[in-house]
Amino acid sequence: MTEAVSAQYGRDRRPFLRRLAIASEPYLYSAPALILIVTVMLVPLAIGISYAFRDMTLLDPFSGGFIGLDHFRAIAKDKTFWLALKNTVYWTGYSVALQFAFGLILALLLDKPFYGRGLAQALCFLPWAVPSFLSGLNWAWMFNPVVGPIPHWLYGIGLMSAPDNILSDPDLAMWGPIIANVWWGIPFFAITLLAALQSIPRDLYEAAAIDGATPFQRFRSITLPFLAPTIAITVMLRTIWIANFADLIVVMTNGGPADKTQIVASYIFTQAFRRLDFGYASAIAMVLLLLLMVYSLLIVFLRQTLLKER
Amino acid sequence: MASIDITDVRKAYGSTKILHGVDLTIKDGEFVVLVGPSGCGKSTLLRMIAGLEDISSGEIRIGGRIVNDLDPKDRDIAMVFQSYALYPHMTVADNMSYSLRLRKTAKEKIASAISGAAAKLSLTPLMERRPKALSGGQRQRVAMGRAIVRSPKAFLFDEPLSNLDARLREHMRGEIKKLHQDLGATSIYVTHDQIEAMTLADRIVAMNAGLVQQVGSPLDLYDRPANLFVAGFMGSPAMNMFEGTYRAANGGTVELAQGVVVPLAGPAPTADGTKLTLGIRPEHVLVGKTGLEGIQALIDLVEPTGFGTILHASAFGADVKAFSLERGVAVRGDTVSVSFPVERIHLFDTATGSRIG
Ligand SMILES: Nc1ncnc2c1ncn2[C@@H]1O[C@H](COP(=O)(O)OP(=O)(O)OP(=O)(O)O)[C@@H](O)[C@H]1O
Ligand SMILES: [Mg+2]
Repeated sequence: MTEAVSAQYGRDRRPFLRRLAIASEPYLYSAPALILIVTVMLVPLAIGISYAFRDMTLLDPFSGGFIGLDHFRAIAKDKTFWLALKNTVYWTGYSVALQFAFGLILALLLDKPFYGRGLAQALCFLPWAVPSFLSGLNWAWMFNPVVGPIPHWLYGIGLMSAPDNILSDPDLAMWGPIIANVWWGIPFFAITLLAALQSIPRDLYEAAAIDGATPFQRFRSITLPFLAPTIAITVMLRTIWIANFADLIVVMTNGGPADKTQIVASYIFTQAFRRLDFGYASAIAMVLLLLLMVYSLLIVFLRQTLLKER
Repeated sequence: MASIDITDVRKAYGSTKILHGVDLTIKDGEFVVLVGPSGCGKSTLLRMIAGLEDISSGEIRIGGRIVNDLDPKDRDIAMVFQSYALYPHMTVADNMSYSLRLRKTAKEKIASAISGAAAKLSLTPLMERRPKALSGGQRQRVAMGRAIVRSPKAFLFDEPLSNLDARLREHMRGEIKKLHQDLGATSIYVTHDQIEAMTLADRIVAMNAGLVQQVGSPLDLYDRPANLFVAGFMGSPAMNMFEGTYRAANGGTVELAQGVVVPLAGPAPTADGTKLTLGIRPEHVLVGKTGLEGIQALIDLVEPTGFGTILHASAFGADVKAFSLERGVAVRGDTVSVSFPVERIHLFDTATGSRIG
């Protein structure tokens, strides 16, 4: 380090190799980490992206040739893709909004001390530990009128005219996976928001209570500002996550009926593993990646401007 | 402005009793300081007055009205926390005006209230900053400002200065005193710094283990401590305490260890042979050359404080502390004679701990 600093002053009379060694020192130190990142993360990514520009069909031994932007042109005309994109927005929007709302309520409830809170906390976080495929199957059965109770309940309280399976109703099918996803994802918000809630100093609430704030005013002027950064980051993470999260849909509806529950991620899965068209699947994945990147940049930008205003 | 009456107030968390019946009356405009060792229940009592803690039994009245079941916001008191508890995402001005805004006070009124408070506390140039960008002392002043803007019935302070360095603490102590003289508001102030207690208080309430030990003016507590606890707690360096036995003969004496006999001003109102504790403040212990009348003592530690000198001497098997404003009274290893002026001696019943005479 000291040598690197002294090297900046005046003309350096040390031999060239020595200067080269000094100049490259920091790069050499970080090289192992960089090499690891490149091989583990960037190489597969690059290969995956390259598929998008190649004709890659698993069962066709002559495929693999470069085809330029053909896949993307096909995507632009692909009705299913556009439907899936629209479905993705619904799926992600409702799932995140409901998970967040219930997660926040749960976190607020668990933040107050009560008898048996430890047990309640453990139980509330349980869904998170259930494998997504299992919870998908579980909910699919629950929605199934032959084995599950939910259609009968809905019929019983008069929400449905007959105890049918909502998963096979084109207008309602999306709600099946969304409900399963909400159930499964509430703990994520509850855990992170609870952690943030518990880091708020109690005496702020006490000071506000003395200042005359009602519980709701305390929530607005203390809890919310404290939670805001956590909310921003978790909602962003969760949005990207859920937009990419096809497990429940694949298990519960497999995109049907009539692609009504097909989201982009499940469409990619279908293209790759049912049609075995890896090239096309890759191209769709790239579009999704770009869209999500634009979304995250937007959020980051929004956050920066909000923070600057503070 | 209001008086505060506390009647037989108790507090228990489950089966743990924290306060065992506190009775206290605070007059309108009075500045009362609660002192006591850590964990004795000072904050608990203060928080019960504020309404942040339930009252297990007993009664608290503010301005004659029972407030036991009133929410903090309806008690019309202001509190300054040790941690200041400033709202971090609000500016200084917003912090100070928050309570007024919640009360839907008119804009002009708020503006004049906070600019008045800011001027009093020299916060005017800081009004647009956030607490994060303030020094400890400035934050403390904002916390004070937040309390004074709405002219509450009473101020409660929970160790408001303990996070400041000694110099700033001294300064703020003066500010608080001035503020109280200006506003004349009823104030309860919790501290375990006895200089703060002595300088600020109209009356001091000394607490220990959930009980009030003594209530009185600062000098009262200092000059006539009601029991061993108050005697030992007030004053630094702490009072010398020696256990002995009362002898009624010769006009009243106390016999200490190793046959040392200390004469008293007169007979004490207690029976001959009572075990008692003799207390004398270090600054009242006279240290002189040997040969003079007194008790032989060997100096084993000399602590110069700049302001004076603390001498530790061993005599009759005990450690005798003496405080002298003079320097160079003695050095380590000197043999001196110490004596206890009769009018400065405090006597306590060793068994009950309470003052005799
Ligand atoms: N929620 C609680 N549950 C059980 N015990 C408590 C609780 N809060 C406080 N205590 C106990 O009550 C006692 C008094 O606490 P308090 O905070 O009033 O002390 P304090 O006199 O203010 O001390 P310090 O000078 O350290 O602030 C302590 O022994 C404390 O452990
Ligand atoms: Mg305390």
